[in-house]
Amino acid sequence: MGTNAIAMLKNYIKIAWRNLWKNKVFSGINIVGLSVGMAACIIIMLFVKYEKSFDEFHTKNIYRLNEVQKFPGMNASQKVGLSMYPMGPTIKADFPEIKNFTRVNWKEKYQTTYQDKRVFLPQVFFVDSTFLKIFDFKLISGDPNTALEKPNTAIVTAETAKKLFGDADPMGKTITHYGGDTTLFTITGVMQNVPKNSQLQFDGLFNFRTIYQSWMGSWSGNWLDTYFEIDPKADIAALEKKFPAYLKKRMPNPENVKYYELFLLPLKDIHANAGDIGLDYLNFQKFDAKSTNLFAIIAIIVLVIACINFMNLSTARSAERAKEVGIRKSIGARRFQLSMQFLGETVLLSLIALVVALILVALALPYVNNLSQRELGGPLYHSVGFILAIIGGAMFVGLLSGIYPAVFLSSYKPVKVLKGSVETGKNKGNFRNVLVVGQFASAVFLMIATIFVVKQLRFMQQKDPGFDREQIVTIPLSGQVQKNYEAFKQRLLGNAMIQGVTGAQDQLGSHLDQSGVDFKYNSEPLKNLAVTRLIVDDNYLDVYKIKMAEGKNFSRNKASIGKEYIVNESLAKMLLKDYPNAKQSSLIGQYFGFDSVGTIVGIVKDFNFNSLHHKVETMFLSNHADWGISQVSVKINAGKAAEALAFIKVTWDNINPDFPFEYQFLDDHFNEVYRADTQVSKIVGILAGLAILISCLGLFGLASYSAEKRVKEIGVRKVLGASVQNIVVLLSTHFVKLVLVANLLAWPIAWYAMNKWLGRFAYRIDINWFTFVLVAMLSVSIALLTISFQAIKAAITNPVKSLRSE
Amino acid sequence: MIKITNLEKFYRTEEVETIALNKLSMEVKKGEFVAIMGPSGCGKSTLLNILGLLDDPDAGSYLFNDIEVADFNERKRADLRKHNIGFVFQSFNLIDELTVFENVELPLIYTGVAAADRVKKVEAVLDKMQIMHRRNHYPQQLSGGQQQRVAIARAVVNTPKIILADEPTGNLDSSNGNDVMELLTDLNEQGTTIIMVTHSEHDARYSHRIIRLLDGQTVVENIMI
Repeated sequence: MGTNAIAMLKNYIKIAWRNLWKNKVFSGINIVGLSVGMAACIIIMLFVKYEKSFDEFHTKNIYRLNEVQKFPGMNASQKVGLSMYPMGPTIKADFPEIKNFTRVNWKEKYQTTYQDKRVFLPQVFFVDSTFLKIFDFKLISGDPNTALEKPNTAIVTAETAKKLFGDADPMGKTITHYGGDTTLFTITGVMQNVPKNSQLQFDGLFNFRTIYQSWMGSWSGNWLDTYFEIDPKADIAALEKKFPAYLKKRMPNPENVKYYELFLLPLKDIHANAGDIGLDYLNFQKFDAKSTNLFAIIAIIVLVIACINFMNLSTARSAERAKEVGIRKSIGARRFQLSMQFLGETVLLSLIALVVALILVALALPYVNNLSQRELGGPLYHSVGFILAIIGGAMFVGLLSGIYPAVFLSSYKPVKVLKGSVETGKNKGNFRNVLVVGQFASAVFLMIATIFVVKQLRFMQQKDPGFDREQIVTIPLSGQVQKNYEAFKQRLLGNAMIQGVTGAQDQLGSHLDQSGVDFKYNSEPLKNLAVTRLIVDDNYLDVYKIKMAEGKNFSRNKASIGKEYIVNESLAKMLLKDYPNAKQSSLIGQYFGFDSVGTIVGIVKDFNFNSLHHKVETMFLSNHADWGISQVSVKINAGKAAEALAFIKVTWDNINPDFPFEYQFLDDHFNEVYRADTQVSKIVGILAGLAILISCLGLFGLASYSAEKRVKEIGVRKVLGASVQNIVVLLSTHFVKLVLVANLLAWPIAWYAMNKWLGRFAYRIDINWFTFVLVAMLSVSIALLTISFQAIKAAITNPVKSLRSE
Repeated sequence: MIKITNLEKFYRTEEVETIALNKLSMEVKKGEFVAIMGPSGCGKSTLLNILGLLDDPDAGSYLFNDIEVADFNERKRADLRKHNIGFVFQSFNLIDELTVFENVELPLIYTGVAAADRVKKVEAVLDKMQIMHRRNHYPQQLSGGQQQRVAIARAVVNTPKIILADEPTGNLDSSNGNDVMELLTDLNEQGTTIIMVTHSEHDARYSHRIIRLLDGQTVVENIMI
């Protein structure tokens, strides 16, 4: 029996192989379509797996503390990933289910020196000594339980150790940080490099107490992240319900309690499910799970489209296989055996497609890795589990696309097919039409989606944000260099290639900090507000060409520093909310600011200091350049970028020889702000393109089949006087109708989905009918182009030839 | 061997119902060679298909070796068919993608014969049909007579008890046709029961008995010899 099963299998494979070979066009279409669909699916699968792997290496039950803030002076409440210094220890003290806590503050480009070697570490964390008891970052040397117990201790990653010490043993060595004041750190541990799929990315861990200053302990600022290890049995929702009472009990100023709500987020959810949380600084490659799921759904649609090709082409060709079915049945084959045979063929085909798909994946991965900034082809790809999964998946795809043809073909009555009267029945044709419509509806939907996504992205990148960001170079300043800002500025302004130099504490396009300010309208009582602030140099509005709505710009004299405030229109509106009859201009000269000497001197038109995902929030600018400038903005002459940059570098090296010169064009910074959006639009666009390609392949196959089937009819029509055009129209009309129906079907769905997607943006494009009509025309043209090749070929054949072939 | 009683078969389209077999009764004994004749549309092929278990009757009884098979399901019919019945068709019906050898081997695979035995049996029957030298050719590479010889080889390779032939010479010239009829006669003489549908009085003369059908009913039975 065993050998017999093998013989049967051999027979099936033989027939399958010869059939594949005999029908090269159909096999080619199927294999190309399936392999492209599979490759897309495999890559998206790798992406999804990578996304899901974020922070999976931590074994403890870790949560991050987050806040919902609603300060007076803000239009809407905001969720932030930040918390206050005293929260960690007091929450641990008040709730027994909290097993441990650690706080993280971070510094970028942290300058460290060992002997004569100086290294700027891209990002370092200042943490409580419990950090390594909570997180599973592995030490190569040192004791994770005690390494950070004492002040002035530090753990460095292997990469950092290499940079600082070369091949020497780092343990016990002392490094120096020259900052505002000089700090020494003893290396007490060396850590493996942080895995790429960790939301926390750092080059070193430093003891928090080393930098502790008394102001930090107060309940006034949110400037760090707090993480808890919580008892796995704890009820998180119940715990969160107790936080308001906790705040009331602990916060020294009961007035402030109402501005805060606390909530917890599982560490493993932060990477993909914290889309609505702002000031989320320690969230490397934050990427919304919604987009990941969207990719997965579209990839599966692409694969299904390829499967549909298979079903359609198989059933369309069924007449050719009918005879074989009849013969096999008359010899004694059971229906089940025949079904198995046809399924075997599709499985074989999909396994061939898988091989091609794997080659495609290998070719595409470098590009995909570059686009996604992830390393998807890692060890995961070579794991036995993954390989088994894709082989299993390919076989499943084979079964899925084979099941309908198998059932359909094996149902043939031998009596009928052997008499040569195969009915390729109207019903089967209808089913095929439904599938084609389904395919094209998906493709049209994706086309429409791609166009709107790309348009929205371009809109965001090109919309006038209310300030000038062309040819502006931003240069970060830190530590010592801040002190040289004024000298640096004056030197730059001496060159004709430089049109303007200004400074601020933040870069536009990033989330700006908020701070408390006081406001008093005429003789009304004093109000405390907390709104977005931007500390700037006095010429900031000029360099950025931000337009004034009322009042005047900052004065250019030292005496007015810290006394003048400019608010945006949103804040002006908010300030006058209780005085409906007051004019905007009445705000000029009112009491406003950090202390009692400030007044509002001007109102600027709203500008988008944030990404266009968000509405313009209430904000003010203050000319406190004396507090330190951390971002210099240099407006340079268009067309002379390279020379200007070279000049800026020379000037920098002259004034700050010890610090590396770094810069970024503001435009590039904004591209980075929209990076996740760009990635989504590119991936959706590529998948949409593949969907269309595969659908057209299927259409090509069906058209060639239909032309083949109607050879005799075409011959007769031509003999009777039909022109080539007549024949082309005859063969094309049906398919064009299907594509039009697909459009009508896809439109409302696309309309709904796009409205929903665009709803996530505060500033969005409108959905216009023109795009829909354009896509309809485009899809019909593509379909026509595909069909016409076959139609014209059939139409120009000499009828004598086609009639004789019967 | 075969006994049918009051067999009925209708074909329905949307408007009309056509009676293909009208309470037909007949019997075929073991070792007989029976020819079925009649004008087009008299029900010959329908009868042959029902006898071959490719089709089922709407009413009546069909005893195959004293077993009632009229109500067999498709699977049981397929099992009975592969062990007992061989088919020869007018249009040969060979599988284009398989070689001569593979075509003839196919029934043996379905009945579960071991590989070594299969080779022996196929070679024996190809030898007998004088088509051995063409064993690795594909059907399209053969003449009509050769194709029909392959088809007969395939029908008999399983040594079925009965061969059903549907106009086996219909697509052949007279010389090739006679060869085929000689082959069938040989098989019959070796004990295989043969039922053959034919239009040809010439071919019918090779049989022991002619059953003439008209409008789904037996009109005459002629005993030959």
